[in-house]
Amino acid sequence: MAPAQASFFKDPASTQNIRGILRVVILLTIAAASISSRLFSVIRFESIIHEFDPWFNFRATKYLVKHGFFEFWNWFDDRTWYPLGRVTGGTLYPGLMVTSGAIWHALRMISLPVDIRNICVLLAPGFSGLTAFATYLFTKEMKDSSAGLLAAAFMGIAPGYISRSVAGSYDNEAIAIFLLMFTFYLWIKAAKLGSAMWGGLCALFYFYMVSAWGGYVFITNLIPLHVFVLILMGRYSGRIYVAYSSWYALGTLASMQVPFVGFLPVRTSEHMAPLGIFGLIQLVAFVDYLRGHVSSKQFNTLLRAIVVVITIVSFSGLVLLTVTNVIAPWSGRFYSLWDTAYAKIHIPIIASVSEHQPTAWPSFFFDLNFLIWLFPAGVYLCFRQLRDEHVFVIVYSVMASYFSGVMVRLMLTLTPIVCVSAAMTVSSILDAYLELDTPEEPDEAEIKKAKKSKDASVTATGGFLSSKAPYIGIYSITSKVSVIASFSVYLVLFVLHCTWVTSNAYSSPSVVLASRMPDGSQHIIDDFREAYYWLRKNTAEDAKVMSWWDYGYQIGGMADRTTLVDNNTWNNTHIATVGKAMASGEAVSYEILRKHEVDYVLIIFGGLLGYSGDDINKFLWMVRIAEGVWPNEVQERKFFTARGEYKIDADATDTMKNSLMYKMSYYNYQSLFPPGQATDRVRGAKLPAEGPVLNTLDEAFTTENWIVRIYKVKDLDTFGRDHFSARAFESGKKKARKTGLGNRATGKKGRRNVRV
Amino acid sequence: MRPLALLAAFSSLLSLSAAQKTPKYQTLLELSSSGKGAKGIIQLDDNNFNEVTGPPRNYSTVVLFTALDPRFGCQLCREFQGEFDLVGTSWNKQHPKQDGLFFGVLDFSVGKQTFQRLSMSTAPIMMLFPATTTGVAGDQFPIKYDFNPNSLNAAESVAHWITDNSKYTVIVARPFNYVKLFTTIAGVVGTATLSKLAYPYLAPALYSRNLWAALSLVAVLLFTSGHMFNHIRKVPYVAHGRNGGLSYIAGGFSNQFGLETQIVALVYAVLAFSSIALCLKMPRLETASKQKIAVMAWNLVVLVMFSFLMSVFKMKNNSYPFFLPPLIA
Repeated sequence: MAPAQASFFKDPASTQNIRGILRVVILLTIAAASISSRLFSVIRFESIIHEFDPWFNFRATKYLVKHGFFEFWNWFDDRTWYPLGRVTGGTLYPGLMVTSGAIWHALRMISLPVDIRNICVLLAPGFSGLTAFATYLFTKEMKDSSAGLLAAAFMGIAPGYISRSVAGSYDNEAIAIFLLMFTFYLWIKAAKLGSAMWGGLCALFYFYMVSAWGGYVFITNLIPLHVFVLILMGRYSGRIYVAYSSWYALGTLASMQVPFVGFLPVRTSEHMAPLGIFGLIQLVAFVDYLRGHVSSKQFNTLLRAIVVVITIVSFSGLVLLTVTNVIAPWSGRFYSLWDTAYAKIHIPIIASVSEHQPTAWPSFFFDLNFLIWLFPAGVYLCFRQLRDEHVFVIVYSVMASYFSGVMVRLMLTLTPIVCVSAAMTVSSILDAYLELDTPEEPDEAEIKKAKKSKDASVTATGGFLSSKAPYIGIYSITSKVSVIASFSVYLVLFVLHCTWVTSNAYSSPSVVLASRMPDGSQHIIDDFREAYYWLRKNTAEDAKVMSWWDYGYQIGGMADRTTLVDNNTWNNTHIATVGKAMASGEAVSYEILRKHEVDYVLIIFGGLLGYSGDDINKFLWMVRIAEGVWPNEVQERKFFTARGEYKIDADATDTMKNSLMYKMSYYNYQSLFPPGQATDRVRGAKLPAEGPVLNTLDEAFTTENWIVRIYKVKDLDTFGRDHFSARAFESGKKKARKTGLGNRATGKKGRRNVRV
Repeated sequence: MRPLALLAAFSSLLSLSAAQKTPKYQTLLELSSSGKGAKGIIQLDDNNFNEVTGPPRNYSTVVLFTALDPRFGCQLCREFQGEFDLVGTSWNKQHPKQDGLFFGVLDFSVGKQTFQRLSMSTAPIMMLFPATTTGVAGDQFPIKYDFNPNSLNAAESVAHWITDNSKYTVIVARPFNYVKLFTTIAGVVGTATLSKLAYPYLAPALYSRNLWAALSLVAVLLFTSGHMFNHIRKVPYVAHGRNGGLSYIAGGFSNQFGLETQIVALVYAVLAFSSIALCLKMPRLETASKQKIAVMAWNLVVLVMFSFLMSVFKMKNNSYPFFLPPLIA
């Protein structure tokens, strides 16, 4: 019985069907696991859109569903960036909205009218299942289907990807990572088969990717880099030529159809690498073709010279075009990836975003757990066989490691390749140690024979270390069991880790905060929605709300009011204007507010609750961004005490105390505490006994936990006084007699006017 | 009224040009051209400091208080000196008669009393003494310059600061760096020649799979252990702990030390190579007994190292609930 069973398991032909069914079942299970692990936030809170950018995407999707595709394409949004407005249809990546719009229409067609919000909330988990499948396909091309299944499982639950794709995280990355992996899979297929069809398919998905996420530039540069490395390695072949040419020509033309991209592929430095490689591969193909027909040595030398000259000429042409600004130089965001000090000095708005910070090592471990150390091993394994597709993995690994080290958010592009490489390692280990058979120990003669034939195997693997000797297998059952057992423990630990991280770190909607009561029950803090709902119900439809840009999308999406700046940070000067209004004294600010017809000012204040992501903590960035535009009017150092500290208590500088942001944050705050006891729980500082005085703003609304505070900008004074003397008059503090006289005089004048 | 105003203006202009020929101005001019330092910069000391900066002045002076002596170990002073000299010489080149703006350096070694009198305890400090308007009473407070370690081109920002705070427009003319040009050209040519000559010997290495594998792995390990964070944030290598000892591991989840990342990279490397050994090397060992011991050894290495990594991570993130025996933090 036993031998029969063993042979049944070992014979691939007899179990092909079972294996196929098993694979499908496993893949479905992985998809189910990856979807369900992303539902923490829906179960714990509700079906709600998260964070900031998703609110804009959600609003845009609603617009698309309501007005149709063509209206959406031509959408000019006058409710943001007041008074400038935004050409929204031409400045967004429409892939995400169109995808959910299409799903919505498809569901309606089969009589399933689902609310568009639910589609938006659940889009990211749904696509994560597809990402796992794409990773399976990709890894299968690298090793085999068992590695593929492992990679799919890793990809499904790796926190590095979950961080951007939990339910409600309705952002471009939600579908972009699937498109990234699938485009790479198609590229590998195309390069392997040398097929124009696969190249065309690759271009098609590349187009989808371009329409969905700005990170498409990663693909745009990685594929040419792969081809370039292959050419340098002397691995040029007709297959590569067909695959690359079909992908580049079709993909570039297709990507230019997205209005936001337009002519960028021929006019910016980021897109010059694929163009250059396209030229190079034509040259190489030409030379390769001629070499087949001409054998003269001199001719070959001449040919080589021609190639070198053409390369140099076209390269210097490229440089010349860049210098003369026909081709735009690297945009700041990309440039800061190479010159890491660049953004800090020149573009504070990029440096201010927390996801643009460099990555410390705990983040890598947090997001990838044990995959992070299996990853280098997988890269090493790729060197063993070093087929064309393995070169791709190596190039991808090195580039993505660098980028993710420079910018936290690019961890997202590293995660897929880490999963693939780690899966290759684990699968190799399992292959070796799960073998049921025990090999025979070779005798002396066999060893000698093997050593003789070693030369052959050495050349086959390019003299690669650690695989010079012939493969034998594992003898002892104990070794097998111990290795398999320990790696099973690591795998279980990985699953626990991922679940814990997802549940604790990545499942908070950040619109709704949760805290634990002393008895362990959950307490929901819903101040944001309280404030936005207040705005929606109590202010005029066309009221303009000024806030720092972080909250622009949420105000637009939840309160449906016009904002000055939002998370689409396209106009630095406008943002700096808001920063200046927040950082200046009331007299200066009031003028800015009046000029921009601002009705309400919204700020986030965490001092009462200890919510550290509030505006006072972001305040220095507002100052810095404003200083970048008005260096003489706003100066960062004036917000620091003489000892160089950033303080909000009695030691705070006068500039700080007089700034609008400070006043709005701490206005009336002292009234919550016994006299002299007011403390700020975020900064752990005692506030001065006397609270700030506001002359030009009225407190309009403050939420339950004081997180959101809304102020109404006062209208011009009825008697034509300035607000400072008006407030002084009303608070009973009689100013110098001169002011009183002045008031009386204006009063008289008014009466006379009436009489006339 | 009007001719009178014109006359007044004219006379003040006259007095200005006359003032530029005052003996004091002439002395300063001599000082600035004859100093042993860079041209256009007055070497100040306790004796002439008061004369130069004291009222009345019909000129402005930018004074750098510095401590160049190696004993004080002022790195910033030495770095800044060249930039300051550049501003001074640029002005001198464009305005040979200084036109009312002087540059001076007071080193601590010759100006101890002045440092004490102005109660300055740090260096470098730079001050702009504007021209006095009316005699001694009109002496304005000197303006202090804020040293910003982030500014890359210090000379340009100094020039900008002077332009902002006085009536003079200072333009820095950076001399073209011929040395750098020639070294670059020589370097390129040299490298090209060397690589041409060495190509036959280097080619095997260049096409060596092991070399490229090693390079890629080093890069991957460096980047995934937070090297770029060290590079960008300029974190310290180690820090002094509470009890006087060294602390290798930085507290906090988004913070790290240089040595810490090297430890982590090393742990990653050991773990990665153990797994490579397990899947590639072990099945190729010929003797059964040897293989058994080796497999057990490598397996143990992975276990201990991973356990160590988990415990370090738990140190960084206190609320992390998982651990792996044998090491429990």
